[in-house]
Amino acid sequence: MITGIPVIDPEACDACGSCVEWCPTGAVGIVDGKAVIVSPRDCYYCTDCEKVCPAGAVKCPFSIVLVQNKPEGNTEKPE
Amino acid sequence: MSSQLEFLKSLPYFENLDDEVIARISQDVLELSFARGQVLFLEDEPCRGLYVVKAGRIRVFKTSPEGREQVMLIAQPGDSFNDVPVFDGGPNPATAAALDASVVYLVPRGTMISLVADCPAALAVVKLFAGRLRHLTSVVEDLSFRSVVGRLAKLLLDLAVVEDGPAPVRQLTQDEMAAMVGTVRDVIGRALRQIEREGAIKIEKHRILVVAPGKLREML
Ligand code: SF4
Ligand code: SF4
Repeated sequence: MITGIPVIDPEACDACGSCVEWCPTGAVGIVDGKAVIVSPRDCYYCTDCEKVCPAGAVKCPFSIVLVQNKPEGNTEKPE
Repeated sequence: MSSQLEFLKSLPYFENLDDEVIARISQDVLELSFARGQVLFLEDEPCRGLYVVKAGRIRVFKTSPEGREQVMLIAQPGDSFNDVPVFDGGPNPATAAALDASVVYLVPRGTMISLVADCPAALAVVKLFAGRLRHLTSVVEDLSFRSVVGRLAKLLLDLAVVEDGPAPVRQLTQDEMAAMVGTVRDVIGRALRQIEREGAIKIEKHRILVVAPGKLREML
């Protein structure tokens, strides 16, 4: 499920703290020996935590969404 | 001491040298330790020499005008870096910082040059080639970046669907996009920003909004 915050796999996280150190907004913290997004509102999805995690525990997926600017007419469908 | 000699001898640069030459080089080599995150040298500074990772990992990166970092290389134990300026005499092409607590050997530029100094022709050739490598690297970076932009534009065109439509919205991390278009994550980050600057997409936190498919098509 996409929630707009990074997804951290607690199984893979070994609490090295890299993501906490790199997060520019302090949105990640270590709680009970695992990294969690402690302050979701501060996360602006820069994806640095995903980039620096040596364990590959962080995933920042993007939804790829087509925006139809013209609500009607212009059926520019390929088929 | 002898472990340093063994290590130096295992490097491609030195593997064909006599033990006594390696011993002489070894006397000039500085062993430097860096804490995680510490900067070894900066882009555009004069070059001190060739660096070789003994332990840890070193991130070699360029900083774009907007202040974003582009990683050129993650050097692992046994890898050398900063070769080009050693031989062309120019400034450091990139910045290096320790990704982990690291130990590196610094072979001073003069020591490296001394290996070819008794053959002025070889020195001139090496210098010329290093200069060409510096230039070609920038050309290749530019070309390959443009082709990544094209492939990424195609991927986004192929995958983008409307929200709440019949097909589920696809979700991809930058690593997954990188694997799909045959590049690395940092380049995907730059390519996405480039495509956004050209007005084809808008990135809103975790959503990549394809706002102008026609512009994506022009990038193919
Ligand atoms: S995406 Fe950026 S802001 Fe959000 S938690 Fe990760 S590092 Fe922090
Ligand atoms: S960088 Fe990865 S392994 Fe380290 S604390 Fe963060 S999520 Fe856990």
